[in-house]
Amino acid sequence: MTDSTESPDLQRRSGLRRLKEGTYGGLFAACAAITLLTTVAIFVTLLSDAVVFFQEIPITEFLTGTNWSPNPAGGGQAFGIIPLLIGTLVVTVTAACIALPVGTLTAIYLSEYATPNARSILKPLLEILAGIPTVVYGYFALVYITPALKATLFPSMSTFNALSASIMVGIMTIPMVSSISEDAMSAVPDDLRQAGYGLGATKFEVSTGIVVPASISGIASSYILAVSRAIGETMIVVVAMGAQARMPAVQEAAFGIPFVNPADVLLESGMTITVAMVQIAGGDLTGGSIPYDSMFALGLTLFVVTLVMNVISDIIAQRYREEY
Amino acid sequence: MATDNANASGFGEVSRLRGVVFEYLSLGASVIGLVALGVLLVYVTIDAFDLANASPEWLLTYFLTLVVPFLAFCLYSVSDPAVTRRSLAALGGGLVAVAALFTAIETFLVAIPRLSWQLAYLFVVAMPVTAYLTYVGSRGRVGAVGFGLVGRLVGGIAIGLALGTLFLVFDPLVWFLAYTLGVVPAAALYAYGRWRSADRASTAAVPVGLLGVVAAVFLRGVVTTYPSDLIIYIWTLAVPIAVAGERVVADRSSRIAAAAVGGVPLAVAIAGGFLAGGLGVPGPTALLVLVTVGVPTAVYVHRTIDEGDGVVGLALPVLLVGGALVGALVVEAWGVPAPDPWLDVGYVTEAPSSTAVEAGLYPAIVGSVIIIALVAVLSFVLGVGTSVFLEEYMPESGVLGSLTRLLQVNIANLAAIPSVVYGLLGLGLFANLLGFGLGTAVTASLTLSLLILPITIISAQEAIRSVPDDLRRGSDAMGATRWQTTKNVVLPEAFPGILTGTILALGRAIGETAPLIMIGAATTVFSAPDSLFSRFSAMPMQIYAWANYPQAEFRYGVVAAGVITLLIILIGMNGTAILLRNRAERGT
Repeated sequence: MTDSTESPDLQRRSGLRRLKEGTYGGLFAACAAITLLTTVAIFVTLLSDAVVFFQEIPITEFLTGTNWSPNPAGGGQAFGIIPLLIGTLVVTVTAACIALPVGTLTAIYLSEYATPNARSILKPLLEILAGIPTVVYGYFALVYITPALKATLFPSMSTFNALSASIMVGIMTIPMVSSISEDAMSAVPDDLRQAGYGLGATKFEVSTGIVVPASISGIASSYILAVSRAIGETMIVVVAMGAQARMPAVQEAAFGIPFVNPADVLLESGMTITVAMVQIAGGDLTGGSIPYDSMFALGLTLFVVTLVMNVISDIIAQRYREEY
Repeated sequence: MATDNANASGFGEVSRLRGVVFEYLSLGASVIGLVALGVLLVYVTIDAFDLANASPEWLLTYFLTLVVPFLAFCLYSVSDPAVTRRSLAALGGGLVAVAALFTAIETFLVAIPRLSWQLAYLFVVAMPVTAYLTYVGSRGRVGAVGFGLVGRLVGGIAIGLALGTLFLVFDPLVWFLAYTLGVVPAAALYAYGRWRSADRASTAAVPVGLLGVVAAVFLRGVVTTYPSDLIIYIWTLAVPIAVAGERVVADRSSRIAAAAVGGVPLAVAIAGGFLAGGLGVPGPTALLVLVTVGVPTAVYVHRTIDEGDGVVGLALPVLLVGGALVGALVVEAWGVPAPDPWLDVGYVTEAPSSTAVEAGLYPAIVGSVIIIALVAVLSFVLGVGTSVFLEEYMPESGVLGSLTRLLQVNIANLAAIPSVVYGLLGLGLFANLLGFGLGTAVTASLTLSLLILPITIISAQEAIRSVPDDLRRGSDAMGATRWQTTKNVVLPEAFPGILTGTILALGRAIGETAPLIMIGAATTVFSAPDSLFSRFSAMPMQIYAWANYPQAEFRYGVVAAGVITLLIILIGMNGTAILLRNRAERGT
């Protein structure tokens, strides 16, 4: 190496080689750029048609209207999102009533009670719940759950109803809650548990009094993700819930407090935002009509809501995470 | 805790009841979803195969000719008396328990619709025992050989049929020209370069190949006479597959054996291709299936016999097929009433119909296969490219580091966008703005590729991240450039993980319905698509369409059969992915 002229050309920076390196780097960068472009494209696509829609239908009317009928037989379209929001809310809340407690208990069992063997069997099995196509869940709800509920608990139930659809959405979202919560619970250091046992706590007290509070940020973010998944769920509700956008009848109860009979909402058909989109998509899709543009307005609503929920879930997971 | 109400000994007594109740409550919560899904799957299976009408004699016949020999095979493979005792106890005890419990429920509580105690025994006892024995049996050498062979047979059939399906859409004549002008010269150059260590020849292979493909597309309109489809398939697919099998064997065995492994299946496949027409089977399909089944099987059989261990396991396919045949013969001779399954050969080979008996899924299956093939290519290329860029090319800190973080956050958010919104993207961008057309296979493939891209990227990133850094540094120290390190070290090491993640993501894509509705995919088409721009249907779309039919034969028969078909394909894909992962884990 003393004589610089004899040192081998370790770099071999020939033009062809550099070109080759640059080409591959550029190709990979282009692939990565496509992910960014996808987000931009979704936003632009939704916005451009939604803007056209809002020029026809004022945004206040869209957000406060209580009647949704994009293609009525006699004319007189109405684009009020409130009945759709109510339908979405009913499905989401009912599904959350199933998925959140069951998912949390599952996570506690997997992280605190299960033997390593049981965990290695249960975890992949639970993932199956999230892997079944949603149209299959919808079919199950329509063809098996509804008749079973009708025969046993609710004889007055209609063929298309919110309850069976919500049950299936709930079952589908269990693994979302359980897997993220379980990760958070497993991350709680063993010292904390041992300290609890040292103070004389039982396993139950350690699980509910130490592990759950210590991992509460992970659990909360899993809840938000599961709820956002339930909001965007389409095929289960399309197949099993029917497509009737309606406002639930408000009844006057004693003391003059208005209330809504839950049976009126759960056992009857309804319409969510996603169902409304699918229903319009069943018709003319060449563009240019108000119902066509209204799909994009609904999609924008859905996009914004799920995006905000994801960001919140991210912030909770990041900011309130206990560092050990 | 116990200071205030301490008793004489100084320690408080804690009730265990609350803890025990909680433990069982959480155990119950963990399995309730699975139990619910299990019950639903049992019912849909019963409906799809019309098992509710299966007589006990029919069930008994097939149990004895098919299930019992299979269980015996597994037990032989395990050859552990303890396992044998346990399985027999479970089968026998389960029989008594299920029969007693079922009768008790039926008599004292409620009638259980469409379920008999024999079926309950089949699903609750026989199937779990079979699954357990399959698992432990596959760990024995004999069982591993048997399941390996059956896997190659089934997988070969699936790949052969899928290949045949793809040529319904892609022009085989273009493929013939591209293969002859592009692939063959490129492969020859590459092989020559490797053989003579002539780097230049290897480097020239890629441009030569590309040139050939371009020339093929150009010449397609010029050349007018072509060999028959069968000859094209023999030359472009059967021969290379056979040569690949021959090369695999030649690496570890004699030339004669290698020639036999490559040549015999090829000869059988060619003969089958020419003779198939007489049986009413399309010749090209028969050729493809025979060659994709024959060559891997021959390689596997040769290796097993060569190693001389667990050769008995090779009898498993014979055992299964023989059992099914004997069962069919007995049922025929005995005149036992047999169920009339909705899911049969006619169902997967015929077009939809307004009558339930004639309805079939064939066009939808073809549509799904074509879309998934395109999605696989697109999402694999884009997913690997992005994850390599993020993991190998981008730094973690500095200005570019924040760009990396932005890309990561963006990918995580894309994964959480509802699929129906992706449908709107496909509708607005691909179908209407770019003019790929409403409900065409191209629009659907592009939309679904973007939909599963985040999942593919995330799993590919994990696979790349799990490659030990020592390997990269070692490659760098040898003077390799970044691309050379990526190509020669990182990607081969991460490949099984990437493949597993991609297949699992494809499983998601094959069941997606909402985006297909949004891009205007047809709910029902009566013929298979013949080009990428023709309207198509897919399996989940067809299920969605049929689920709306009010007739009971559709609700409880045709749709159930569609659901089972979809789930079988899903299980096949996910099973392959899991096997790949397990094999990769064992290798490292």
